[in-house]
Amino acid sequence: MRALVIDDSRAMRRIVSGILEGLGYETQQAGHGREGLDVLEGGWVPDLVCVDWNMPVMDGLQFVSAARSNPAWRSMTIMMVTSESEHTQIVRALAAGAHEYVIKPFTADAIRDKLALLGLLPQEALL
Amino acid sequence: MTTVDTGERRRLADVRPVITELIDEATVESIAQDAWIALVGEEEVLVPLPGEPVTDPVSSWVDVVGPWTGSVVLTTDRRTAEELTRALLREHSPGVLEHEDVVDAFGEIANVVGGNVKAALPGSSSLSLPDVGDAPAPRNPEDVCRVDLTWRGETVSISVQGALPALPAR
Repeated sequence: MRALVIDDSRAMRRIVSGILEGLGYETQQAGHGREGLDVLEGGWVPDLVCVDWNMPVMDGLQFVSAARSNPAWRSMTIMMVTSESEHTQIVRALAAGAHEYVIKPFTADAIRDKLALLGLLPQEALL
Repeated sequence: MTTVDTGERRRLADVRPVITELIDEATVESIAQDAWIALVGEEEVLVPLPGEPVTDPVSSWVDVVGPWTGSVVLTTDRRTAEELTRALLREHSPGVLEHEDVVDAFGEIANVVGGNVKAALPGSSSLSLPDVGDAPAPRNPEDVCRVDLTWRGETVSISVQGALPALPAR
């Protein structure tokens, strides 16, 4: 399974990618929403996108809206991973097309639990 | 009936909360503890005691704009910020840390702490991208909630401080 991790913090990208790779994902990283769209437009369409909210150039909400407007990417599951924890913001992200919402700080178990709920745990993580 | 303008409504509109009316030190400390465990490591604790004064300070902060406007500022020694960066990056930490690595990792800690402080405040607010460097000076000594903590024996201060000067005394 493939995952795209979009966050303007390199440290956070490494943390999230490390967790996903530990579960058996193949990952790619992008530093903001526009870079994330570039990855998708290049033909690397993942099963899962983990995207931060507050980023320069293109924020997470704009990315979700843009990704959801392309029917070719409809099968992707989008999970916001962000420190934006206001209820109204969560509602906005879900309304724009995100499937799940993880609030920073999070643990590896929290990510695993969310993926299990979404049916997105790779076979090797279930063994 | 004649209504007399006493100025009361204008004065009420001029009232804005200071941070100590909205959040307390225990909440800020609890937010920081959660961020430390998740980002820095499960065994890493912030001891709620002030350490030695910081001699070579560096700060990371995010700005909150809303019913309360100000900054959430983390300050520690430059060497401690580097140590925090290595802890955050774990096995991905490079042999030689670049300044950009510290800016990125120390800024992300401010982003996570600041985002959760914002969530604890009433009303809807926006959060800026993190910044790293010399901390913005508090504008109003009454509008500051500060906790001094120790990580691995080094001082880490977290200051939630208003960006606006004090209102004139009424």
